[in-house]
Amino acid sequence: MKYLLTEQASTAGKSVVFDDMILTKDLPTTAGSKMLEGYMSLFDAEVVTRLNAAGYTTVGKANVGEMCVDVLGESSAFGASTDENGKLVGASAALVAKGDATVAIGLDAGGTPRRAAALGGCVCVKPTYGTVSRFGTVSIACSGETVTVTAKTVADAREALAAIAGHDEKDGTSLAEEKCALVAQAPVKASRVAIAKSITESADAEMRAKVASVRAALEKNGITVEEIDDTLLQKAGTAWGILMSAELCNNVSRYDGVKYGYRTKNYKTIDELYTNSRTEAFGKLLKTVILYGSETLSTENYMKVYDKALRMRRVIAERFAEIFESFDAVLMPVASRTVFCPKCVAKYTLAYDEQLYTAPASITGLPAVALDGVQLVGKAFEENKLYYLAEIVEKEAK
Amino acid sequence: MDREVLRRLEKLNQLALTEEEKNDFLAFYAAKESELASLDAVDTENVERMVHVMPIYTVVREDVVIKKFEREDLQKGAPETTDGYWQVPRLVE
Amino acid sequence: MKEYEIVIGLEVHIELATNSKIFCSCSAKFGGEQNEHVCPACCGMPGMLPVVNRHVVDLGMTAGMMLGCHINRTTTFDKKSYYYPDLPGSYQTTQWFAPVAVNGTVKIKTSKGEKDIRIKQIHMEEDAGKLVHDDWTDTTLVDFNRTSVPLIEIVSQPDLSSAEEVVAYLERLRSLLRFAKVSECRMEQGSMRCDVNLSVRPVGQKEYGVRTEMKNMNSISAIERAIAYEAARHIDAIENGTEELVQETRRWDDIKGMSFAMRNKETAGDYRYFPDPNVMPVVIDDAWYESIESSLPEFPEKKRERYITELGLGEYDAEFLTESRAFCDAFEEAYAECGLAKEAANWLITNCMNLLNRKQMTADMLKINGRALGVLIKLVSDGTVSHANAKKILEVMFDEDIDPKKYAEENGYIVSNDTGKIEEVVKTIIAANPKSVADYKNGKEKALMAIFGQCMRELKGNCDPNVLRELILKNI
Repeated sequence: MKYLLTEQASTAGKSVVFDDMILTKDLPTTAGSKMLEGYMSLFDAEVVTRLNAAGYTTVGKANVGEMCVDVLGESSAFGASTDENGKLVGASAALVAKGDATVAIGLDAGGTPRRAAALGGCVCVKPTYGTVSRFGTVSIACSGETVTVTAKTVADAREALAAIAGHDEKDGTSLAEEKCALVAQAPVKASRVAIAKSITESADAEMRAKVASVRAALEKNGITVEEIDDTLLQKAGTAWGILMSAELCNNVSRYDGVKYGYRTKNYKTIDELYTNSRTEAFGKLLKTVILYGSETLSTENYMKVYDKALRMRRVIAERFAEIFESFDAVLMPVASRTVFCPKCVAKYTLAYDEQLYTAPASITGLPAVALDGVQLVGKAFEENKLYYLAEIVEKEAK
Repeated sequence: MDREVLRRLEKLNQLALTEEEKNDFLAFYAAKESELASLDAVDTENVERMVHVMPIYTVVREDVVIKKFEREDLQKGAPETTDGYWQVPRLVE
Repeated sequence: MKEYEIVIGLEVHIELATNSKIFCSCSAKFGGEQNEHVCPACCGMPGMLPVVNRHVVDLGMTAGMMLGCHINRTTTFDKKSYYYPDLPGSYQTTQWFAPVAVNGTVKIKTSKGEKDIRIKQIHMEEDAGKLVHDDWTDTTLVDFNRTSVPLIEIVSQPDLSSAEEVVAYLERLRSLLRFAKVSECRMEQGSMRCDVNLSVRPVGQKEYGVRTEMKNMNSISAIERAIAYEAARHIDAIENGTEELVQETRRWDDIKGMSFAMRNKETAGDYRYFPDPNVMPVVIDDAWYESIESSLPEFPEKKRERYITELGLGEYDAEFLTESRAFCDAFEEAYAECGLAKEAANWLITNCMNLLNRKQMTADMLKINGRALGVLIKLVSDGTVSHANAKKILEVMFDEDIDPKKYAEENGYIVSNDTGKIEEVVKTIIAANPKSVADYKNGKEKALMAIFGQCMRELKGNCDPNVLRELILKNI
């Protein structure tokens, strides 16, 4: 599968590739789903408008897994994107790595953009929730999803982020301009990093080695690195799995074959129209997410499952706040392994397991910078410290 | 979860799983249920639920009408329309 | 046969009088071509995010205060999921966990006296679209114009026990909410709708009977008929075992005069409410609360009493005026300007109402500048403009916000006090109508009226009738 679903004539200068979760007026947006094959938005996402205005030309739309909730695009209705060795790659990150685009813009709820960048030789910045408008993105899980920037270097990502961060009155969760402006500030010295112990230990040997080498790089540059108890952070995957599934179930209920998008040919009644359209157009993973999410909200389960997850979110956020009293960032692997092959994802719900690594930053809306197999999760609006640390990692990796 | 509950869940979400998908889902759900038990280990009795991660309030707009879109454009990608209406099979009330 | 009592609780949906919809900037105006007031959000397309219309919260609070509710200072929105073609996102954004207002009371008056009906809660939500069932093609057509038009749902406790009480309650709600300009409450346009939850039980029994919910009633008389039918059906089922009562939603068919069980999706399954992550909690601070509180209108019965005791209006006039907020406003403004309460009431009740009737408009549609009306009344009372000409000016004032005095001057409607000029006209007319003069002199009083009329016409009505009469008698 090629990486671009649709492309525009390339031009010189700064360029951007958008994950197919980002709505564009001039190119179709599919969200990796047969449901939206050929779907034309009537408007551009705010990030598209802002980046184009800042001089980034649009290269095209990159392949994504259906609704971007899988591991690395394996659930795309248009086929998974793989490299020449047959391993899975995030399409937009691969394009950036090849130099076909200066930056890639994604939407991170399930961690895909971070995973794709950190395993694909790029840097992904997931800024603090609410600092980049989500207007014009195909909603996944609105309470935690964040627009991300992937680039070859921390500096390139930061430059693009500066162009897109800002208040947008079209997004009711958008923060005040002065808050948004904090996320693209120049690096500021950081000195203490915590390692999420158990989360790191649960990854494979190769991944643990990545964390160890990042640790060494940081320490070499005078950063104190300490392992911490991450028992509560480990629960984020389960809690976020609940919230994300329920929200996604609700967000994709609009895709019903009535107004636009895919409609089955096989129907007589409205129920057949709904059921057959959705059954034929949605993939197996998305169906699982929908059913699981729906069940967490049932009258019977709401209090013990969904409400519990909302409370866990606060517990996890408070644990992070406690950690940030003594540390500038938390270091953890971005995935359980450094390579995903199509065979690894034979377990079609693997993305749920991978939440262990990406959910701590998703459920709390905290900023994260992912590179070289790992991610650094920081305090809200203190991206500048993450940039400082990430640039050390970047420098030492060379 | 048993097959009857799953059947109702499918209906509620307008989906029809194949036999294989059903089996896989039931296995997945069983695994999730045991995971949930690990959350119960954390006492959240007195924890306030956190719906929004950022403490901002009262995001409101003024009551002003703005028309930006035409019906014709909104229905360009519609599977079926008649006289400017979206069309579906006759509903039985 | 045992004696039964009917237990009724109402869910009343009221469309709010806003310009734009609740979560997007489309027009909320009634009517228009199908799918004219629609944007990507209204047709469930991806990418748009909801931003709350502030005025919806204003009106939600106003309604709460008018119905004696406690206002929740932090109010939040939730999503309710089900599939139906009039619901483009397959979810409705409503208030499940923290509605804007709770625990109110509405006083009603019936032939049995006064009674308090408790309000459980008032929540804000979005309306659904409209479905048109097309027999010709055997399809259903979908119009999203009403999608996301703001509503409040007023949920009562099961405190109502007869159709008469239900009617009194609905009329009271309508009167209070129209007064507070929350909604026009027009049942025929669907801006006021009512679901009736009804059960019956033998008098003295504590437990409630099986409850059914009836939807689709679009007039107060239909509601009366539906309650009578449904209560009889319940009693018949209990007494004679004609059918087994089940808790269900039923549709009232006013033409057949029967209720039918609904089989549509909306009645089935679990709505899976959860907090909307895209809509931040709305926190009502003291300044906001007080600004709404201070803008509340006087209750209609308070006004009526004040009009009678303080302004000296008769009961009929006071009653008539206080049935409509528009009339009260115009009356109070006119009175403030001219200081003539009785005259102001008369002008509104007689002349303005006539004009409205002629234009087939209702009292609430009155759009007249009350201050200007006061000016006009003053012009008539001090003899500057004749009553007949003032009525002509009033007609113009219905369509345009004019200054009546300036308009009278520009159009020659000022009463002339120049008796010389009037006498000149009188003399000319008398000279031109020898037959009428002769008739009058022969005792035909009517002949004088003909001369009077001609003079008035010649003077364009700008003449004190008494002065004219005297001058005719003097010259004849």
